[in-house]
Amino acid sequence: MKDVLKIGGILLAITVIAAAALSGVYSVTKPLIEDAKQKEQDAALTVALAGADTSGIYKVENEEYVYYEGFTERERQNLIGYAFITSKYGYSSDIVTMVGVDTAGTIIGIKVLSQQETPGLGTRIAEKAYGETKTWVQKQFEGKTAMGCAVDKDGGSIISITGATISSRAVTNSVVDGYKKFNEFITKK
Amino acid sequence: MSAFKELTKGIYDQNPVFKQALGLCPTLAVSNSVENGLGMGLAATFVLVCSNVIISLIRKLVPAKIRIPVYIVVIASFVTIVDYSMNGLFHELHKSLGLFIPLIVVNCIILGRAEAFAGKNNIFLSLLDGIGMGLGFTLALVLLGTIREILGNGSFLGIPVIGASFKPVLIMILPPGAFLSIGFVMGFFNWIENRKSN
Repeated sequence: MKDVLKIGGILLAITVIAAAALSGVYSVTKPLIEDAKQKEQDAALTVALAGADTSGIYKVENEEYVYYEGFTERERQNLIGYAFITSKYGYSSDIVTMVGVDTAGTIIGIKVLSQQETPGLGTRIAEKAYGETKTWVQKQFEGKTAMGCAVDKDGGSIISITGATISSRAVTNSVVDGYKKFNEFITKK
Repeated sequence: MSAFKELTKGIYDQNPVFKQALGLCPTLAVSNSVENGLGMGLAATFVLVCSNVIISLIRKLVPAKIRIPVYIVVIASFVTIVDYSMNGLFHELHKSLGLFIPLIVVNCIILGRAEAFAGKNNIFLSLLDGIGMGLGFTLALVLLGTIREILGNGSFLGIPVIGASFKPVLIMILPPGAFLSIGFVMGFFNWIENRKSN
């Protein structure tokens, strides 16, 4: 019985020390992580709304929907388009993308925000092929009409990645669905 | 055994992957490209070195009956520290490795070294053992990553090394390719050992 208390006490002491160390690390890294995420989202917005002034991007949100408006001038002049976040389950994860469209529904820019697809296959949706300046999603989607996107295997013009058709298709369909949802919201408004 | 030997044994003589066959799960999972292998190897090395040092430090305080839970708490704490720090400081790398970081907790190289070495030896030797084993694990991942990335993707660290006429053998970067390449490399090292002893 005495033994149990002693052993339990040692175990308790060690876990308390570990927990204290972890909470210290957590409080130090939390702002860093949030900062990195914010930067990432800002970077995604400048890609999705290429051409907009960096301080001319406004977040529009209400209870059911969030999107962004991009203007070439700071004071809400010259609307160039909208950006929205959309996601769909791919092969092994939710693929979240930021998509920017102009007022006619043509894709201005697109960036993958997060995904955990198969490294070397599905992850290529967010990567630049060697010697390219644009990622796969940018290369495939920029300049296309959001509503009409479909992968080549479904008879569309998006060239899917060899060995990663599911990931390619998920991104494509999420762009279409995301645009439909956005369009519904904006026309209702 | 000399201190130098403790440092170098993990690289070849007792390579954790090829000789001890430890840590095969993360090895199979992340060796599909050189970059992933390197990132995972270095992250695991950091955890291994830290946990070896701490476990060696507290080895006399911890009763034998509860050593395993204590080791797990120490290892899990360091993994969480790596996870948070990498997320905050190297956000891009964390995005590609994020899924595998928690796997380090159950990487049996780390628990294996804690049990087989750090729990019985002094801090200095445990530090060297951790560095050596970590390097051996990293080298094994990079070697497998090189084989799989070149055959499966025609590239090394993302740079194409084989002409465009080469059609990559896709299966090499998929899970079966991991089993195939690890089997061949392990067989190769065993063949060398057999020749040496004959």
